[in-house]
Amino acid sequence: MIPAMTPRPRTGGDAVLEALEREGVDVIFGYPGGTIMPFYDALYGHPMRHILVRHEAGAAFAAGGYARTSGRVGVCCATSGPGATNLVTGLVDAMMDSIPVVAITANVRTPLMGTDGFQEADVCAITQCTTKASILITDPGQLYTKVREAFALARSGRPGPVLVDIPTDVLKAPYVPEQNPPRKVSDVKPVATPDSIAAAANAIRNSHRPVAIAGGGVREPRAVKAFRELCALLGLPHTTTIVGLGASDPNDVHGLGMLGMHGTKASNLTVHTADLVLAFGMRFDDRVTGRPDRFAREATIVHNDIDASEFNKIIPTEILLHGDSADTIKALIAELKTGHVPRFDDWAVQAKALGGPLPSDVSKDGHLSATDFLDQFFAAAPPKAIVSTDVGQHQMWTAQRFKPSTPRDFCTSAGLGSMGFGFPAAIGACFANPGRPVFAIVGDGGFQMTMPELATVKRYQVPVKIVLIDNRNLGMVRQWQELFYDERYSATNLSDNPDFCTIASAYDIESFRISGPEDAPSMLKAFLDYSGPALLHVSCYPDELVWPMIPAGGVVEDLMESKA
Amino acid sequence: MTYDLVVGDPRTVARVINMAHRFQCRASRVDSTSSESVTTAHFEFAGDAKQLDRLRAQIDRIVQFEKIFVS
Repeated sequence: MIPAMTPRPRTGGDAVLEALEREGVDVIFGYPGGTIMPFYDALYGHPMRHILVRHEAGAAFAAGGYARTSGRVGVCCATSGPGATNLVTGLVDAMMDSIPVVAITANVRTPLMGTDGFQEADVCAITQCTTKASILITDPGQLYTKVREAFALARSGRPGPVLVDIPTDVLKAPYVPEQNPPRKVSDVKPVATPDSIAAAANAIRNSHRPVAIAGGGVREPRAVKAFRELCALLGLPHTTTIVGLGASDPNDVHGLGMLGMHGTKASNLTVHTADLVLAFGMRFDDRVTGRPDRFAREATIVHNDIDASEFNKIIPTEILLHGDSADTIKALIAELKTGHVPRFDDWAVQAKALGGPLPSDVSKDGHLSATDFLDQFFAAAPPKAIVSTDVGQHQMWTAQRFKPSTPRDFCTSAGLGSMGFGFPAAIGACFANPGRPVFAIVGDGGFQMTMPELATVKRYQVPVKIVLIDNRNLGMVRQWQELFYDERYSATNLSDNPDFCTIASAYDIESFRISGPEDAPSMLKAFLDYSGPALLHVSCYPDELVWPMIPAGGVVEDLMESKA
Repeated sequence: MTYDLVVGDPRTVARVINMAHRFQCRASRVDSTSSESVTTAHFEFAGDAKQLDRLRAQIDRIVQFEKIFVS
């Protein structure tokens, strides 16, 4: 007979879990440790799903991937000191791309704080500048309320990460029921003024060569719908930033593809030639503008953002539309419909003609070109696939080729450009989107940064498909060394890479190998047909470059389509 | 440029000073008082005019984070 267990007294850890439940959290990505044990003790036997990653960085990236592909808040947790600091890169990544993530960290017990206690780090200070807020909770009676407020803050306005740090004695303290309900979130939100909407509509009516740009502010479905409606209404040529990919209707012939350093020639030349730029939910990142004083210099700029600090930060703006992108675009459509609705089809055709076909290399002499492979991959990939990338050449090649149905189908570390992101983010995407095909397209450099998450895939049978573009180099750095550093290939050679298929096999994960162009069609088919987690190792030649390219800080006249 | 800050979290003062330096500006004077629930601070910043504009916008932004809640 099994002796009856004494009921476990409820603690602060239970209050945190209660708050997470009330916020609708269904999964937490985390890693336990000394100070966070009271929280893990509360989790024991609890229906809340916890995914044990193999490094805290994986937890933060997985939470980011979950949030990016679902629109819901991603949650990660870690212990004090190194556990907490290992989350930091993922939190900065979420801040840069405006992704709602809540990180829960434990800290040393309150009397030890500030004494350089074992595994103590002032994670609130460390993350203060890289989150919307970092909240230290020292009162057990505040746990429920403050954790729920963290979620409200992460979601509100321009979304972003919030860190909640809880000393272990507070987590261990006797459970205190909710004392005060969380403060309400103000329903006052910025709304573009009727005058500014009218000014934007008039600018459109007076324009001959307008172009629209969608950024991360157009990720939300209402905004996507409004953006597509506006483009269709006007026959408007339009482009997107890398985080706005998918905002454009894939069937709209006036879509020009991605803008910026490795964007399409048509996008960059159209913005350069335009007399009106309608920028929605984007922040004029330097990878988009190049040299800002030469960006769209013939154009009147209309800038919409929910975050007023983005206005005039990089590009001087004539018409500011301060508000949520969905509401703003809808108001603009309504205003346009009160009068003459211009059409720009002829200009859109001209804009498209400014570019040309995307340059892809050709596989030859038994050596596979990465772009040739990716063209084959996207031709064969299932519809409605979610694609997560790591950072580097493969990221740009993918961004150029993938036509996501919505922005949430493409997941990439854009602003921070954090290597190691792609694989764990894809794991997060799988948990957020059960039943949908999810691909992690990664390079050999970045994959090795978070490769231990293969154990996570194995344990939970996460149905992620990993496409590993292996050129045995840190390809993007190598590309810059080739073009701008006289081919001095300093520390970019990875010719001693491990056998990735053997590694997958060690984790009991199926793998497929493409060693040359002749293997590609059959192995790609076998990989795509395989049900369950799998790795496709694609061996490519190392000296393929990403084209087109506008060098950093350059102008559109500097656009390169091949090595000079 | 001067900025008068009223926030709940006293650490915001440090955040603003860090931000000023990141924007290549300088907090040339800071007067701050904190009670249990309110911190006020008066800042004087020096720096390039454009950078100071950006700094002001960013301070406005982080102050706004606290203002999303209504008591």
